[in-house]
Amino acid sequence: MREKILQLVKEYYQANLVPKKFDPKTDTIRYAGRVFDEKELVNLVDASLDFWLTEGRFCDQFIEKIADFLNVENVILTNSGSSANLIALSALTSKKLGSKRLMPGDEVITVAAGFPATVTPIVQNKLVPVFVDVELPTYNVEISALKSAISSKTRAIFLAHTLGNPFNVKEIVEIAHENDLWLIEDNCDAFGSKYDGKYTGTFGDLATISFYPAHHITTGEGGAVVTNNDELGSIVKSFRDWGRDCYCAGGENNTCGKRFTQQFGTLPLGYDHKYVYSEIGYNLKMTDMSAAIGSAQMDKLEYFCNRRRENFSLYSAFLSNYTNYLILPEATENSDPAWFTYVISVKNSAPFGRTELVTYLNEHRIETRNIFAGNMIRQPAFIDQVFRVQGELTNSDFIMNNTFFLGTYPGMTKEMIGHTEEIIKRFMSQF
Amino acid sequence: MANVRKYKSRIIKVEQPVSNIFVVTLESLEKRFKFKEGQFLHLALDPFDPSKAWPDSRCFSIQTSPEDQHLKLTYSVKGKFTTRMATELTEGREVCLKLPYGDLFQKAHNKKNCVFIAGGTGITPYLSLFICKDFSEYETPKLYFGVRDMSFHIYQDEFNKSLQINPSLKINIVNQEVEGILDIEKIFAENGVEPHYFISGPPAMINKFKKSLLIKQVNENNIRTDDWG
Repeated sequence: MREKILQLVKEYYQANLVPKKFDPKTDTIRYAGRVFDEKELVNLVDASLDFWLTEGRFCDQFIEKIADFLNVENVILTNSGSSANLIALSALTSKKLGSKRLMPGDEVITVAAGFPATVTPIVQNKLVPVFVDVELPTYNVEISALKSAISSKTRAIFLAHTLGNPFNVKEIVEIAHENDLWLIEDNCDAFGSKYDGKYTGTFGDLATISFYPAHHITTGEGGAVVTNNDELGSIVKSFRDWGRDCYCAGGENNTCGKRFTQQFGTLPLGYDHKYVYSEIGYNLKMTDMSAAIGSAQMDKLEYFCNRRRENFSLYSAFLSNYTNYLILPEATENSDPAWFTYVISVKNSAPFGRTELVTYLNEHRIETRNIFAGNMIRQPAFIDQVFRVQGELTNSDFIMNNTFFLGTYPGMTKEMIGHTEEIIKRFMSQF
Repeated sequence: MANVRKYKSRIIKVEQPVSNIFVVTLESLEKRFKFKEGQFLHLALDPFDPSKAWPDSRCFSIQTSPEDQHLKLTYSVKGKFTTRMATELTEGREVCLKLPYGDLFQKAHNKKNCVFIAGGTGITPYLSLFICKDFSEYETPKLYFGVRDMSFHIYQDEFNKSLQINPSLKINIVNQEVEGILDIEKIFAENGVEPHYFISGPPAMINKFKKSLLIKQVNENNIRTDDWG
């Protein structure tokens, strides 16, 4: 019966979900979207027919595919990229790390122009974010600002590869090593990007990935923490799973053989290890249905990344005509980004502002987005929060006022980008 | 501990060097085995349906190096499960494994001063380290290996390989039939409080030796035990 159901699912996909040809007169060009075929749908239904629900065979499959792709030892799936960021940083507060653990009041360096999910875990763990500026046109951390931000309280660096563009990994890894700092790569927007021939997300002590529909692959909601440090991997898993000490997967018992023989704290000797909690944790696990989608998406990741690169090139080809008004993005030296988006800044000297341009584009059904929070410290949530700013945030303010992005997602076709070119050409002809 | 993976595997060799001791060599039918020195695995005899729970299984130390293509484990027949193993595990038989588990050698330890104590088949997790090329990083490691009698010392080939990798390894084989059981007092007297002590073997031996070392003021963090069951 299962085979019949899955065959019908394939037919349903063909009848209802195959993408339709783009019609510039009626269709909106989204900045991002899910790209999938019958395989994702079949996996999803297959997982639902198992009714295993929590971490199961599809999570195993998904984990192995990510681990093999990145060549990492530990992949911990989560229910979102933001959750991945939260537990990656929280893991560094674990007592198990001894003198290396982060303590309240310790400083974590990050950038002001980014997404809140990179910064909020710092605040939530009673640590102090130290904001530094970014450089244009990579939109990544300014190295000199980062160096000057290091104080006696600095213990970690937590940075995103902005919109798929790797930060200067060589410099930052060196700074982290020289100053004995933890390095977390927020790789949520850059899954598949490379630096020096190696995937981002494999350089830091920990890295995170997001599988939100706008990202390089999707599970709907979902994320992951990856690391080659087994001890950190175990701690991250503990934070994800209520803080429990036992590493058995759901439905498993006593895989260590020590379930009823150990002594923890002042608990009775032999207290059931499944109910021993060594961290103040959460429950942020991924479902097997989400992983079923992710497993099918992983088989497309290379293709998706190449499509993003192709779309990036198509934008650059026509937008290079407007560099008197616009700042176009540039890849960090020695990197090969799987571009999350195509980021554009309107120069202060241009005869129009960002608002006029994005209003025009959106009126013509071309979606745009800002670089997330702009200058983070100007967001209402950060009023009255404890943080430190090192140097000026001139570029972060500029980004807040002048920058936006267009989509590069693999569902974006040459026709869509051609239409975008036509609309921008019309806009520019006014000046 | 890295992500646990499940492996459909086939038995390629079964040896019975002594009465109820079996040595089994396995190959993976899919991906290459991934593990680190000193880790252990779960072996299931019943078929595994990935959409259902993992079947009844038992833990066994991996005695091959992570660099080897095949896995080797030793078991002695003690209960129902191992009795089934003795009957059912024949060459060509397919079994399901999941691994890796454990972190015996993954936590930081002083490679300049390590003492390895093993009782019987408790030697196996050490073998995976001793025959791995990284073992050359250890400075004058000492092994105390207690065997019931010399017929139970079935690992001479591995020891020879270990000595090629690290000639500074000091191997003390204690023939318990002649010399009596491994003596933690004697081992401590020869090595003192400084080394990292690794203990592997029957649970009663592990508990007794660990307690004894703690009483003698050996730092608890310097005592690592392979006591998964």
